[in-house]
Amino acid sequence: MDLLHLGSYTLSSRLILGTGKFSSASVMLEAVKASGAELVTVALRRFNREQPGDDLFTPLTSIPGITLMPNTSGASTAAEAVHAARIARELSGSPFIKVEIHPNPQHLMPDPIETYEASKILAKEGFLVMPYIPADPVLAKRLEEAGCVSVMPLGSAIGSGQGLATAEMLRIIIRESNIPVIVDAGLRSPSEAALAMEMGCDAVLVNSAVAVASNPPDMAEAFAEAVAAGRKAFRAGIMEKSGLAAATSPLTSFLGSEA
Amino acid sequence: MNHLPEWLSAGRDETRFRAMLLPDSPYTLEQLAAESKALTLRRFGRTMSLYAPLYLSNHCSSGCAYCGFASDRKTPRRRLEQEEIRKELDAMKRLAISDVLLLTGERTRAADFDYLRDSVATAAAKMQRVSVEAFPMSVAEYRELADAGCTGITIYQETYNPLSYGELHRWGPKKNYRERLETPARALEGGMKSVGLGVLLGLADPQEEALLLYRHLLHLGRTYWRAGLSVSFPRIRPQTGSYQPPFPVSDHLLARMIFAFRIALPDVELVLSTRESPAFRDGMAGLGITRMSIASRTTVGGYSDPESVERGQFDVFDDRSAELFCDALREKNIEPVFKNWEHTYNGPSSPEMAT
Repeated sequence: MDLLHLGSYTLSSRLILGTGKFSSASVMLEAVKASGAELVTVALRRFNREQPGDDLFTPLTSIPGITLMPNTSGASTAAEAVHAARIARELSGSPFIKVEIHPNPQHLMPDPIETYEASKILAKEGFLVMPYIPADPVLAKRLEEAGCVSVMPLGSAIGSGQGLATAEMLRIIIRESNIPVIVDAGLRSPSEAALAMEMGCDAVLVNSAVAVASNPPDMAEAFAEAVAAGRKAFRAGIMEKSGLAAATSPLTSFLGSEA
Repeated sequence: MNHLPEWLSAGRDETRFRAMLLPDSPYTLEQLAAESKALTLRRFGRTMSLYAPLYLSNHCSSGCAYCGFASDRKTPRRRLEQEEIRKELDAMKRLAISDVLLLTGERTRAADFDYLRDSVATAAAKMQRVSVEAFPMSVAEYRELADAGCTGITIYQETYNPLSYGELHRWGPKKNYRERLETPARALEGGMKSVGLGVLLGLADPQEEALLLYRHLLHLGRTYWRAGLSVSFPRIRPQTGSYQPPFPVSDHLLARMIFAFRIALPDVELVLSTRESPAFRDGMAGLGITRMSIASRTTVGGYSDPESVERGQFDVFDDRSAELFCDALREKNIEPVFKNWEHTYNGPSSPEMAT
């Protein structure tokens, strides 16, 4: 079995779904079910215990076989994220926390410094920390050392649909990481998710691309298939790109024949 | 008075923004709508953040020619006491509202800073998110307001045209154009997380107003990179005093402005209030607007006493109930979101570390 290990958890699906931006909670639930995702993230700011009709958390708990991972989207500092994580654990019972800290509410780029500080504290408190980060190989290793169970570098800006704009940095992160690397943000189409998996990412997190599709459940399923295909291809060993054709006159003839 | 700061008198890289708003624009309204819709969908998804205004007080010391609460109006004056504010907030919460905008007039002895700060604290104890649309304050006052749980302020320049500004603001502290212009920066300096800007459409040449508003936003974004920015599009509607706007803005032009702002600033929150008609609001949902007020009462005490016939600051055009309005959004495949914030994220952002 090809399982994804996150702390003490093992998952067979390598697609993680975000739950914001959907046209309704029921469409979101349909998409989650269709995706086969076993790990689903939901923002603490969308928990609403006072108004069940406005709450995203409770409906998700009705889906069997999924683990919820609260996220701190909306936090702009480490202190806020740490506080939010503790509240989220209290409310959800989940050991997972997706640390998401964006001090600029327009472009939503993650703050590497605050994210590192918050992740360090939360890992010490026993959370299974999954930080959303810029595609920075050094930061990824620092977070691994801090005890995170995975790193989640961005493919491109949240909601931008620009795909794997950070591919070069992702390759370095994947090569060097001892913990799962999960591409989060920017994926527009299933083919981009497949590409991320072929590169060797351990999983992908998708939200906007599914939520704003005309048919979110079908799109969720399409992403699941693409992720599975990309993973399988990666494991099967993808052939080298051609283009390194042998030169007509050998470049190393001066070496003579090998002894 | 007529001397504008450099960042306001000249922009950079604004060719397209100007072109989108030209009377003979090379861009058709339909083209702009399509681009604006796609950008909005990608960045904000199929959701609409909802809030509601709460008028704390209609005491005012300013003489804005266009306002129903100006100090020379015969409107009965009143302020809500903290107990009444709690009652109003409870009535709002029964409508599912968790994001409230507190409003007052210009600073008066009846509704001064201490009163506003206490009201913010009262609201922050009940609501997830509290913002304020009141009078310009000092950096220290904004800091205190943030400490009390206020996350953002809304402050419209009303008009960026200094001459019109001088004529329309007949007396009172609001007469000072520069003081008002620099208010959003002071708020951010004082620890506010977001500022909402806007012009009162109808007061001056709308193309020129839009351009200066755009420059103001860019300037704030460059200077305060953490700032959350939003833009509102209030259009003058009939009200006490029967002020007739010299530059009335048509639905078409307003739509064009909203699209232009979305295209030029794809990730900024764009706000539309109940001043606008149900048809216009429903139409603009999903095309560029990402935040709307709902079930609004513009009278002091209007939520717990909805039968009041008192006149508000302006007449609400979209007077649909929260339920009807949400149904209309859902009809358009847009989810109304009441709670899109967490009180944990309130208060000024400080580097102090929780342990």
